[in-house]
Amino acid sequence: MQGITRKVIRYSASFMLITIINFTLPRLMPGDPVKNLIGEDVYVSEDVMEELRTELGLNRPLHEQFTSFLLDLLHLDLGYSYHLHAPVAEILLDRMGWTLLFVGVSVLIGALLGSLLGALTGWKPERKMSRFTGFAFVMFSCTPPYFLALLSLYLFSFKLGLFPSKGFYDAPEIGSVMHHLFLPVCVMSVFSASRNFLVMRGSVIQEKKQLYALYARAKGLHNTGILFRHVIKNASLPVITLLALDFGFLFSGALFTEIIFSLNGMGTLIYDAIMGKDYPLLQGAFLVIALTALFANMLADLLYALIDPRVRRPV
Amino acid sequence: MKLGKHFKEAGLNRSGLNRGLKQGLTLAILIFIFCVNMYPAGAADSEVSGENLTSSEGGIFDRFITYIKALFGGEEELQDPEEVSEAKAAEMQQSAASEGAVLKIATPNVIKSASFIGDSNLGVFTHLSNPPLMKMDSEGHLAGQLAESYEVSENNTCWTFYLRDDLYWSDGEPVTPEDIEFSIRYYGKETPWASWINDTLESSAVSEANNSVTFKFNKPYTRINLEFATYNILPAHVWETVENPMEYTNSGPYVGCGPYYLKLIDLNAGKLVFEKNPYWKGKVPEAETVEVHYYSNVDVATLALKNGEADTYYKYAGSYPYSGIEQLEETGDFEFLEKTDIGLIFLAPNLEKAPFSDLKFREALAYAINYEEIVRLETLGYGEVPNRGFVPPAMENFKETEKLEYDPEKARELLEEAGYSDSNGDGILEGKDGENIEIEILIRPDYARTGELLKEYFENVSLGADLRTADSDTWMTLKDNYEYDLTVTRSTPWGMLMHASWGSGYFDSRRSGQGVMHNLDDPEFLQLCDNILATTDSSELQDYAYELQDYYAENLPAIPLYWNTVLTPYNRHFEGWYTDPLYGIYNLDNFVNVRKTEA
Repeated sequence: MQGITRKVIRYSASFMLITIINFTLPRLMPGDPVKNLIGEDVYVSEDVMEELRTELGLNRPLHEQFTSFLLDLLHLDLGYSYHLHAPVAEILLDRMGWTLLFVGVSVLIGALLGSLLGALTGWKPERKMSRFTGFAFVMFSCTPPYFLALLSLYLFSFKLGLFPSKGFYDAPEIGSVMHHLFLPVCVMSVFSASRNFLVMRGSVIQEKKQLYALYARAKGLHNTGILFRHVIKNASLPVITLLALDFGFLFSGALFTEIIFSLNGMGTLIYDAIMGKDYPLLQGAFLVIALTALFANMLADLLYALIDPRVRRPV
Repeated sequence: MKLGKHFKEAGLNRSGLNRGLKQGLTLAILIFIFCVNMYPAGAADSEVSGENLTSSEGGIFDRFITYIKALFGGEEELQDPEEVSEAKAAEMQQSAASEGAVLKIATPNVIKSASFIGDSNLGVFTHLSNPPLMKMDSEGHLAGQLAESYEVSENNTCWTFYLRDDLYWSDGEPVTPEDIEFSIRYYGKETPWASWINDTLESSAVSEANNSVTFKFNKPYTRINLEFATYNILPAHVWETVENPMEYTNSGPYVGCGPYYLKLIDLNAGKLVFEKNPYWKGKVPEAETVEVHYYSNVDVATLALKNGEADTYYKYAGSYPYSGIEQLEETGDFEFLEKTDIGLIFLAPNLEKAPFSDLKFREALAYAINYEEIVRLETLGYGEVPNRGFVPPAMENFKETEKLEYDPEKARELLEEAGYSDSNGDGILEGKDGENIEIEILIRPDYARTGELLKEYFENVSLGADLRTADSDTWMTLKDNYEYDLTVTRSTPWGMLMHASWGSGYFDSRRSGQGVMHNLDDPEFLQLCDNILATTDSSELQDYAYELQDYYAENLPAIPLYWNTVLTPYNRHFEGWYTDPLYGIYNLDNFVNVRKTEA
């Protein structure tokens, strides 16, 4: 019980800190959101700029802006985006749905594929196929995702003409969405899988040398049984940590892939918000990412406890 | 026992060998089948495409690609043309016809919000559905678009626009002078960038009798015809109920009065769809639909063009990437429209700070720059060394002033004459304050290469130089606070035309704005701007334009780095394109004139 209270306090403190950083960080960045709001080569008098500042509440002292931000947050109001002309919550919900679909699926496929192949190659690293798979995944993990994305786009979309080059769909139908998302999902999955593969492989190589594995073998358990019933359970702990970290990446890290496939996702949303000093949108997006990361960490904590009984023991 | 074990091991080895042999053989057979399959695939493809490609010309990579294409449903490409059934041929013809009905434009100008009034890129594209009153012709002269003609009072305060009488909105309502009056007032009231209308417009009146609208301003405003070439006209009966138009987002359809109306803004598909306005009475456009496909990555947009996914390319105030021209030419499917840009890239010195406030120093800087090299590297031959008069030749009332010249020796002489010398012998000239001159060149990432070159040129004439790279937003803040020595920036076509035109809007210290340098407060220059703003007399305007260019040439408030050509590729199956200096190919005339040709 005490442990749970400690965790709740720890997560609440993290949340508060995140909220403060969320508010202050964009305002510490150089640049003027009002000037960004005006198009290129447009003449605007200082009076109009002041009017805009007042309208957006940017002329108020910082503490007042912060209080108003907190009050709005309590009412689940994330504000209004100056640049995208819509409530932040509405924009985030729309983009998050697509990003969850595209990056979420990739992270899941990456986790399953990477862990499974990592475990198998870690269990029998001397096999030719294991060496080849290891080499391939090392290569993928060293390749920046944007390069992988560009390469796959060039090859499969422009050379072979198998997949479309941009957007989530042509017409909003499930077939069209799947067709459009196939390449970006593959690229992200391969990248995610390569990271999980390397961690899992290393972990299994270490675990299989442990005494419990030898004991299981002495009991007469078959190779596959030892791997899947005993070793994989212990070896998956670092992968869970990696997955928890990937959740933050889920909403922001797909930027380059989004740019290359012209996807209207969270990555480009955040990038544009940073470039345009769209404070409400930045705050909203960062808050969502932070909450997701917190939630994923919490989940990882719970999973750790489930998988590894030592974590449950009182210190 | 031992013998038995040996036999067993030998047996094992033999079976291992056999297994290896079997695997090797299977692999060899598979590779053989693959190659056998791949060869005719490539050959058939080259026959169908009509290309005279031999196997050696195709290359293994291309052959592999062709094979994979065939494997994944590209069977019709592998068929003998004679084997194509009539039904298939009819289907192909139909498909070609329906394809012909869509004109596709690839652009890197991304639409970020479905806000008809709030998104600036969308504002450019909706010139097609909601054309402005005026337009610019290919020579840069202003002409009527929705307006048939216009007149201005002698004191330049009262402008009357006479509307065409064959204009209808896409919902069947006629376009009235009230729509024009409403639109202009609406922009003045609701948008920050048009707030000048609110401040300057004294009164307006419509006349149903002669289908006209009159705007009376509280001071002479001679550039209204140009301003009104940029404001999209809105249907009053639709927009008067929209309370906060800047915040109004809708994916469409939007009522328009052009040859097309905006049917759909699909942010997730990355496209705008324009459909024919059923009530359009002008020349009938050929394409049923115009689609604008936007790409977040310019390289992907160019690849899409190369792949035949788009018929033309458009970038507001920009050219098709010069590096991609050769590739596109190789396809044989594209031709290019060339137009000297009325915008340019220039080096802006901070005129409020020594030694940049010293004309002699600026002269020396101008001689220190190797323009030929910059033009060669930045425009790949599609540009030219500019004149000291700043204004590119494509602009109306261009005056031929002296060409800028690279002469580092002369730069050194000028610096010495002006009193900048290296008295401590450290290789860097000292300013009049006795300190080493360390020039900070503020650049945005877009101009990184130009920045590097400039640094090298200035160091070559014993001036210390440092690059400071900043994102656009930081650049703007630093520039507005005069926290720079030199900066590289550009002028868009509209930027050259705004304010008193001929680029004056960038330098007039009384103005502020996103790309404006506002660093020139010389009374002579300011008076010249005011003179231009107070006249509509064309011969007077020409005199002032010449004076302004002479002023630039003599005083070098900015050093132009290169004039460039805007290149726009278009599929050779479409003919009838033309380009204007303000919006390039994105003008209404193109969309009604462009026709698909046979082969």
